[in-house]
Amino acid sequence: MISLEDIPSFFEAAEIFLEGTIAAVLVVIWLLVVALHLARPYMLANLQKFTLRLGADLWWIIYLAFRDGLVVLAFVLSFMFFLPDVVGMLPLPLTGSLAAACAFAVLVLKLVTGGDADIRAFIWQTWLLGLGAVLYIVPFVFGVEAGALPGPAGEVAAFLVTTTNPSWAIPLTYVSMAIVGALGVVAVAYNLRESALPVSRANAQADT
Amino acid sequence: MEEMDSELVTTLVNAGKSWLVLTIAALMPTFWALTLIFQFARPYIVRVLRGLTLRFGADVWWLSYVLIRDALMLLTFAIGTSLILPGLYISMPLPLFAPLSTLLLFWALVFKLFGEADDDPRTFRAVSLLLVAAASLYFVPLFFGVEAIDQAYLGEIPAFLVSATNPSWAWPILLLALAGYAATGSYIFWRFMRTLRKGTASVTERSTEAAA
Repeated sequence: MISLEDIPSFFEAAEIFLEGTIAAVLVVIWLLVVALHLARPYMLANLQKFTLRLGADLWWIIYLAFRDGLVVLAFVLSFMFFLPDVVGMLPLPLTGSLAAACAFAVLVLKLVTGGDADIRAFIWQTWLLGLGAVLYIVPFVFGVEAGALPGPAGEVAAFLVTTTNPSWAIPLTYVSMAIVGALGVVAVAYNLRESALPVSRANAQADT
Repeated sequence: MEEMDSELVTTLVNAGKSWLVLTIAALMPTFWALTLIFQFARPYIVRVLRGLTLRFGADVWWLSYVLIRDALMLLTFAIGTSLILPGLYISMPLPLFAPLSTLLLFWALVFKLFGEADDDPRTFRAVSLLLVAAASLYFVPLFFGVEAIDQAYLGEIPAFLVSATNPSWAWPILLLALAGYAATGSYIFWRFMRTLRKGTASVTERSTEAAA
């Protein structure tokens, strides 16, 4: 039977459940992000097989929307890593905030470089995504998940979790926030400089 | 026993309401980030647009982008407005500058409504700068206030940045934002009516000319 005193802890548990679920879903999202980036040669090979330009265009648009949309999703769901109280309260992967910064760096690279035609930029993006996935998945698996079990990984697991290692977790949160802030300034400045091309003209160029 | 049940239900409902509002407030940075990401993804979207070989594909790509970008902006505005209702804003730990943040977003929407934000670089820059300012006004008090109350090393900063613990700032900010809402809403109404009247006048002119 629930009593008046139980109510605050009931909603605290609901918050922990919600944020813990997002943290677990992020593992899947990071895997999908890396997989879709590595699937680029397969997508390009299929693109050559289309006999209609319409089909090829749609195939490519859908691929880009999924691939880049998932990077955006990984970044926005990682926002809880920038909230110091949440980082201190929930057992989250220690380097989750750095992984979020990697996802944001990839988004900024996509913005300021030549897109898919620029192979060097794409290689950088893939490296950053690989790094982000490692920074998220390794502490999640060996810290958050393995730490909850009795076994040999005790000390390592404690180091890899935010609640048991706040002296690393909070500074990492602020460092990641600073990286994201600096990259955000770059993105805004680039946009303000590049905003001269009207879309109607760019749209017309698509047909030429 | 009945009295106890009624008290339990009231406490449960109130705690549920607080939880819902605070969860929405914590989700707002996600909406803000998505709004900013879609607004500033424009060069990337235009670059892909130029790479497409058919106008059909280009139109689908651009249409989807504009739809998602503007819908997100509107959604952020709608949720942001619900958080500045006086009963919630003053009594719950919400970001101190949230009302001003939503007001700036409202102005960005006004620029979009009456300007050509996609084809006119000046309007695009105005909308972009308003969005950056608005998002910063939400992010800073959330990260260093609402979500940093337990961080002792920040001293008095978190308490200052939270509406419920700083009513001497919260009330003037709220009243200023509500006055701004009223003025902006009135401006939109006046401008819309003026455009409508101009449209009617030109239709009447054309029909007079046709009759002559």
